[in-house]
Amino acid sequence: MLQVRDLGVAFGAVQPLAGVSFGIDKGETLGIVGESGSGKSLTAMSVMGLLPLIGGRITDGSMQFDGQDLTRLAEKDYRKLRGGRIGLITQNPMTSLDPLQKIGPQVDAVAVLHLGMTGAQARARTVEILGTLRIPEPALICDRYPHQMSGGMKQRIVIAMALAADPDLLIADEPTTALDVTVQAQIIRLLDDLVKQRNLALILITHDMSVVAQTCDKVVVMYAGRAIEQGPVGAIFDAPQHPYTQALIGCIPRGLADGDRIEGIPGTVPTVMNYPKGCPFHPRCDRAQPTCETVEPVLTPRGDGAVACHFPGAAP
Amino acid sequence: MTNLLEVRDLSKRFSSGGGPFRRARSMQAVNGVSFDLPRGRVIGVVGESGCGKSTLARLILRLIEPSSGTVQFNGADLLAKTASQMRALRADMQMVFQDPYSAIDPRYTVARAVAEPFGIQGRTPKGSMADEVAGLLDMVGLDPGLAGSFPHQISGGQKQRVGIARALALRPALLVLDEPTASLDVSVQAQIISLLQQLRDDLDLTYLFISHDLSLVKYFCDEILVMYLGRVVEALPDTSAPARHPYTRTLMDSTFEPDPKLRRTITPLEGEVPSPFNLPPGCAFADRCPQATTLCRTQTPTLDPRGGHPVACHHPI
Repeated sequence: MLQVRDLGVAFGAVQPLAGVSFGIDKGETLGIVGESGSGKSLTAMSVMGLLPLIGGRITDGSMQFDGQDLTRLAEKDYRKLRGGRIGLITQNPMTSLDPLQKIGPQVDAVAVLHLGMTGAQARARTVEILGTLRIPEPALICDRYPHQMSGGMKQRIVIAMALAADPDLLIADEPTTALDVTVQAQIIRLLDDLVKQRNLALILITHDMSVVAQTCDKVVVMYAGRAIEQGPVGAIFDAPQHPYTQALIGCIPRGLADGDRIEGIPGTVPTVMNYPKGCPFHPRCDRAQPTCETVEPVLTPRGDGAVACHFPGAAP
Repeated sequence: MTNLLEVRDLSKRFSSGGGPFRRARSMQAVNGVSFDLPRGRVIGVVGESGCGKSTLARLILRLIEPSSGTVQFNGADLLAKTASQMRALRADMQMVFQDPYSAIDPRYTVARAVAEPFGIQGRTPKGSMADEVAGLLDMVGLDPGLAGSFPHQISGGQKQRVGIARALALRPALLVLDEPTASLDVSVQAQIISLLQQLRDDLDLTYLFISHDLSLVKYFCDEILVMYLGRVVEALPDTSAPARHPYTRTLMDSTFEPDPKLRRTITPLEGEVPSPFNLPPGCAFADRCPQATTLCRTQTPTLDPRGGHPVACHHPI
């Protein structure tokens, strides 16, 4: 349904994103995972065609969505797609709602704009969608303002807006990061149900490997603006090929049953101004060889997935 | 094992004064919290936002004044101390804050930030101050060459290490860690946690670790206090103890395993933490609890150790 190939993004002379490839089909959940500054959100913005807003442009690659190349799409056509066939859920529900407008009109507007409904039709649809998102008394909620609602409830409203035009693809950018754990579990369950019931394609952007393990079918691991490994979720967790993926999984605290101590990854995540030459991970990698400092590895198929590393495989 | 810290019935009520256009309101941020922290142990306090865990941390160090209750530190009653006695005592009890970006004065160099506690306490290190700072930076895994840097020149993880070095400068016995890794990337969080573990072994430290992350608390701590709306609802004596309170059970069910083979069916708890203002009588969790009965809506349960470890629930699991 969406096939991104070799995507590259630049802001002036700075190239924060390069060589990002992934694909997703209906009914699938794809996790894009990485630490801050790895390019996860930028990837989402590229697919949504929002780069010009922040002064970026696509320099390489293609994004095939249902037969058309999004990189060549005119802004006029993108507007129909955005919020229509592609829905977006952002990280902070507190800022994605208009504080001066009641909930009802905000959600109605999506169906009016994209499905050409009348106000009354749109309202009926809004109430129905809010109901399916397990929001109590949806008709009353429509008359509330965002500040009268809790964080988890606001995130459900944002999800309702993303669903209002019946999208085929949903992009959720850290949808639960700002929420408490019990509320996070509610939202994750909700997204899971939506994918199954509506046969949606869901791109879930997160820094949390546990959320990925719980919900995703496929995973793309990003580091310093590169997709460094991808594959089915089972393979990524059972037999990660890239040293960064292995280290990232090793950073998750688990019970002390095995007595192992977490070590972390030495050094820090590079920022876009100081991406290292060669493999972007080599300064923090215990497997690095001279080649890694000069030659950037490309994403190469391996097993069920693909990995960008000169020395992939289990830790020696 | 002697208790470094003994907290009894500690409570804090915050009030906002009324005015022409608003009623006076008050909320019980911390409500009757009691626990012992033996020397050398690590107790984790876990709960969702607004449960009072950060207020508890500040009460224990007397950064804010409790409404009632007592805190004994090393056998001394903290609440009987004068301000200057308290200042002297704080050399022995330090705090590491959640946000390393705002915990360090942006105009201070790393060296000045780390040396600041010596000035406040009117102490001088054994050797030169430069050597002492270099030693402290080395202890937290920072290159002593960073001593002349300003906070904006170093990363978030490095800033948190500076925060830890400063807290350790006067060799305290107790460190209160208030979500020390919440604003850091996972790979850096793991570094900091591993550093804290090593420092605990090397320096014989006692930690009170505040966090919203149950899996991190389970990994890092010896005992766990679970808080909900100002009260301790369960005191887990070790990290493998089964949950007896329905809220603890929910917290445990809401954390996912980093293994796709261990996927669980999420049966989410509906609702969210209610507003701490004007709480209804009875158990604060009753509205969200699947087991709630009339008793729960009328009588507030207290921590009861019968039938296992202490739990504040009329119908423990």
